[in-house]
Amino acid sequence: MLACYAPVPAFLLPPRRIGWTLCLGSAVLLALLQGVVQAATPDWSGVWAMQGGTVFDLATQTGKGGSTTPGVREHPPYTPAYEAKYLANMALRDKGILPDPNSFCGIPTGFPRILNLPDVYEFAVTPQQVWIIAENGPNVLRIYTDGRAHPAPADRWPTHTGDSVGHWEGDTLVFDTLSLHSSENGRTLVDRTGLMLSEAAHVVSRMHINAAGLMEVQMTIDDQQALSAPWVVTKRFKQQDKGARVYDYACNENNRNPVDPKTGWTYTIGPDGRIIDQSATKK
Amino acid sequence: MKLFRSSLLAAYAWLLITTPVLAHHSDAMFDHEQVRELSGTVKEFQFTNPHTWVQLSVKDANGKVVEWSLEWGSPNQLGRQGIRPSTFAVGTVVTIRANPMRDGTPGGAFIGARFADGTTVGRWD
Repeated sequence: MLACYAPVPAFLLPPRRIGWTLCLGSAVLLALLQGVVQAATPDWSGVWAMQGGTVFDLATQTGKGGSTTPGVREHPPYTPAYEAKYLANMALRDKGILPDPNSFCGIPTGFPRILNLPDVYEFAVTPQQVWIIAENGPNVLRIYTDGRAHPAPADRWPTHTGDSVGHWEGDTLVFDTLSLHSSENGRTLVDRTGLMLSEAAHVVSRMHINAAGLMEVQMTIDDQQALSAPWVVTKRFKQQDKGARVYDYACNENNRNPVDPKTGWTYTIGPDGRIIDQSATKK
Repeated sequence: MKLFRSSLLAAYAWLLITTPVLAHHSDAMFDHEQVRELSGTVKEFQFTNPHTWVQLSVKDANGKVVEWSLEWGSPNQLGRQGIRPSTFAVGTVVTIRANPMRDGTPGGAFIGARFADGTTVGRWD
């Protein structure tokens, strides 16, 4: 197929040179195509930090004019059943006893929360995959851009980051994520206010560098069980100074605030490894 | 050194605005309405994940030395802002402001520190 793009018409060449020319033409074309593919993927190198707080719905942020009254919040548009679950989580959050798996050390953050973390990010683009690498955790989201589809329903199972496949529309990465863990049973939460999604969650994300130079990810979250309408969330990331480094994040290195998964109580450990908070020892 | 610490102050003020210092877990154990000022000697600076801790030896009203545990941000965040393991060298005399623990335990959430030469790190308004 590629031979038809040989730079010199074959009928002008002696027969023994035709084969070499076809090979040369193919190689040149292949190199050009690779160059086109590589040029089509934008330069997302560097170190980036999310802008804003680590909650998805700023109206639920304690102390910042938030409200827990349904109808006042802008997002998410929960079904009545999930609204009740979320309000219950926020009540625990307000008491400081929401068991947030992100505080347990060792459990992946999952998607979409991986786009809602403190510390910094790297966005690694290759022709076959894009990796969103969060220092916090650390956590990685793999997005396949090699043309593959999601596995068939019988061949996939819920995971923390689910399955993401995507493609490029110019400099915008569009990717589709499903097969995510439900927030039920304390397995995962979408943010530290206790936002929840079900296993039916299906997210379409559009990711690009906006006019202000910020990496912008707009997620349209659809969840037939948890949401009454699609929930659109946008997260933005600012490129850090050149030379900024990313470091190890080893949550269990010296975690002096272990969280009891059952009660949500956060203990404080002294330098000798013993619990020092008096209120905890009285419990 | 003075300039270095002043720049750290500005950088950390920015950090406080843009990112929660203790994002890893609930900070309900700290009383954010109260600020306690502690003068003492650095026993240890744990420059570790997920959070850093300054262990400060402080004499109480009876002259008894009490060890305070003062929790600060992650070494990664602080390191990018210029804080180093050497920022709190063992034996350094320093005054630290912190939001104390609600239950009276000798611990708190680090706000800022002022060294004997007048330089500061963290938030020191």
